[in-house]
Amino acid sequence: MSSIIKIKNLTFSYSAEEERKTLDNVNLEIEAGQWVALIGHNGSGKSTLARCIDGLLMPESGSIEVDGLHLTEETVWDVRERIGMVFQNPDNQFVGADVEGDVAFGMENRGIPRSEMQKRVKEVLEAVDMTAFAKHEPVRLSGGQKQRVAIAGVLAVRPKIIIFDESTSMLDPEGKRDIVGLMRRLNDEENFTIISITHDIDEASLADRVIVLNDGRVIDDDVPEKIFASGDLLTKIGLDLPYPEALKEELKEKGIDVPNEYLDEEGMVDWLCRSALKN
Amino acid sequence: MPIRVEKLSYSYQAGTPMEHKALEDVSLEITDGSYTAVIGHTGSGKSTLMQHLNGLLKPTEGFLEINGRQITPETQNKELGDLRKEVGFVFQFPEAQLFEETVKKDIAFAPKNFGKSDEEAEAIAVRMAKMVDLPDEVLDKSPFELSGGQMRRVAIAGILAMEPKILVLDEPTAGLDPMGRLEMMRLFSRLHKNGMTIILVTHQMNDVADYADHALVLEHGRLIADTTPKALFSKPEWLREHHLDLPQTTKFAEKLMASGMKFDSLPLTKKELAQILADRIKGGSADE
Amino acid sequence: MNKLLLGRYVNGDSLVHRMDARSKLVLSFYFVAIIFLCNNWQTYLLLTAFVLMCVKFSDLGIGFFIKGVKPLLGLIVFTVLLQVFFTRGGHVYWSFGPLSLTHFGIVNGFYVFCRFVLIIFMSTLLTLTTAPLEISDAIESLLKPLKAIKVPVYEISLMLSIALRFVPTLMDETEKIMNAQRSRGVNFSEGTLMQRIKAVIPLLIPLFVSSFNRAEELATAMEARGYRGGEGRTKYRVQVWTKIDTIAVILFAIVTILLFILRKF
Repeated sequence: MSSIIKIKNLTFSYSAEEERKTLDNVNLEIEAGQWVALIGHNGSGKSTLARCIDGLLMPESGSIEVDGLHLTEETVWDVRERIGMVFQNPDNQFVGADVEGDVAFGMENRGIPRSEMQKRVKEVLEAVDMTAFAKHEPVRLSGGQKQRVAIAGVLAVRPKIIIFDESTSMLDPEGKRDIVGLMRRLNDEENFTIISITHDIDEASLADRVIVLNDGRVIDDDVPEKIFASGDLLTKIGLDLPYPEALKEELKEKGIDVPNEYLDEEGMVDWLCRSALKN
Repeated sequence: MPIRVEKLSYSYQAGTPMEHKALEDVSLEITDGSYTAVIGHTGSGKSTLMQHLNGLLKPTEGFLEINGRQITPETQNKELGDLRKEVGFVFQFPEAQLFEETVKKDIAFAPKNFGKSDEEAEAIAVRMAKMVDLPDEVLDKSPFELSGGQMRRVAIAGILAMEPKILVLDEPTAGLDPMGRLEMMRLFSRLHKNGMTIILVTHQMNDVADYADHALVLEHGRLIADTTPKALFSKPEWLREHHLDLPQTTKFAEKLMASGMKFDSLPLTKKELAQILADRIKGGSADE
Repeated sequence: MNKLLLGRYVNGDSLVHRMDARSKLVLSFYFVAIIFLCNNWQTYLLLTAFVLMCVKFSDLGIGFFIKGVKPLLGLIVFTVLLQVFFTRGGHVYWSFGPLSLTHFGIVNGFYVFCRFVLIIFMSTLLTLTTAPLEISDAIESLLKPLKAIKVPVYEISLMLSIALRFVPTLMDETEKIMNAQRSRGVNFSEGTLMQRIKAVIPLLIPLFVSSFNRAEELATAMEARGYRGGEGRTKYRVQVWTKIDTIAVILFAIVTILLFILRKF
């Protein structure tokens, strides 16, 4: 597998006076087709990292390569061709007056002919199950529906990478489930490379790989099983544990010998049934 | 009886062709010092109901009584103002209400509006800032320089500054990270222990299980459940029918049951479940 | 406020709804021009009949149009009275100082009244059957020739359409902030003028802050979606001239000719 994103020694800060860098010497490679979850508490630098990758912020030092392109002022628009971003606030990324119009916005910017736009709008609205809402204005949509429209807009311009920048954090549980399900489908079936920035541990547990960011540094980078097994690290930086792990910690406190390796829900149910029913 | 709602209905744009009934025939009671969770989907009427509690809306039919004060469709707007002192209302994303030059002034804003002198109000502000764990050095900063989590604390302190007896919280943890969420919930828990009546509007069933002692469920403007969290979450089928979630612990316990474990009643909190499991693993064969 | 700005457009699929917004816009202005050709009851009757026919084609109840007249009633009554009492000529029914009630005055007053109502009906017809966005598109399209003299027509139209799109969002926001400040003891509707002006500050500052935040996020999102100015952009929404528009233009032409004939009576 080849790396679609290569980040070398990336450093960024919002103002020169700031002592602590927002991003401090970050090195990362992300493989094509991977689903990577970027986790960390608010202010850990995760959204800044995403913005640097898309060239929305220019790093102080270090280099970024996206799909073989070295990111500079000259290549930034080509890099953006390859990356679609879905942001946090569903309202503040809805540019069009209605669903169709918003989905078409990215295509209009790229000068795609109208007949092709019409075809793609139809396709992508179907893909996100919003065909029935094509003519709706944003006020008449729920947060989850607006995020689906945002995803459709991204799909329409056919990027290789989709970055979800806390896209589920402002949604109600139903909307959240909805969008996470869609993310999973896009990764599984359409083979998009997905970077999801989140502090929702259940969303992160679906990823192929979890990168933990704290104070602008990568402090851990592994498969979810490994990350979640080292429980105190997440707790220490203020993140949740997946439920089975949290329960395990609670049992440990009560003096129970618990297995060290990560247990997903099924594993935990299994282990508990064996341990509790053996008597 | 601090809050009593009696056959309350509310329609938006009443008397026009656009009339839309947001609440229908809602009756309920909230006792002093309770911690009530209000659950329901977007558009279920939760917000409309909450806005009645501090006089932002008046019922179209029925009435409500708060600390002995009755609010009927005929109540004058002037009288509603007094209610706002007794019922603190923390809106969703309350940091949107900040506007003063300094944190201290912003917290002191409400007490000043309700007739406290500048000195009194500032003294209250300092006290409230402490109560929500804001460090002293932010008091003279602009609220707009703070982090999102701190801004929210300032906003909440600004409501607490009215020293209300009842605190209504509309999804107070939305958008915070896990640590921020936990700290916030602990703060409310502390206020509750000090005798404040808490009304929490939430989607987080874990919080309902962990903190509340009373649960109200609204659907399409009607009150469909008025019970305890324990009783509410003991009926998973009913919740599913109404597209509502279970707390993580209850969901997990259901899985354990499916694999053959038995529970007298479904546990609600992680601590509770851990205790049961620990007892069993340690050798007490609770399973018959 | 909500109704004033947005509640006007009524979704529909009538002949008028289906017309190109450009032709509706131009013809509405044209109507205002030709109404000044009217000089006798025959011409006013013709235009009244014509307007009623247009209303009929819109499939909208006459109530919508009467509602459009209501807010301007004061102005209409004032102007009509001015005409009635200050126009001289013909039989004098009554007079007092500079005021007089004459035959011409009454007739003129009536004509002015008709003119007002007809213009309001016609412009209401435009706003009732044309979404704000279509109007903004139409303006862009009509302004296109100005591109030659370096007017950023495209950007103006995008600004207009984004502004329109955010009106409801900001209304919501205003409502929320007002409620939050009311809960903190602000009274927006009572008190002296000074108190009321002061009460607006806790509303305006948060509203500005949130609008700036929104604008910043929106700009970032637009950039991420590849927006780099109007150059080289294509358009998804286009306006199509249809048979209905051609027919409408012909109808207007016929009405104009008839007006010229009837004027001579």
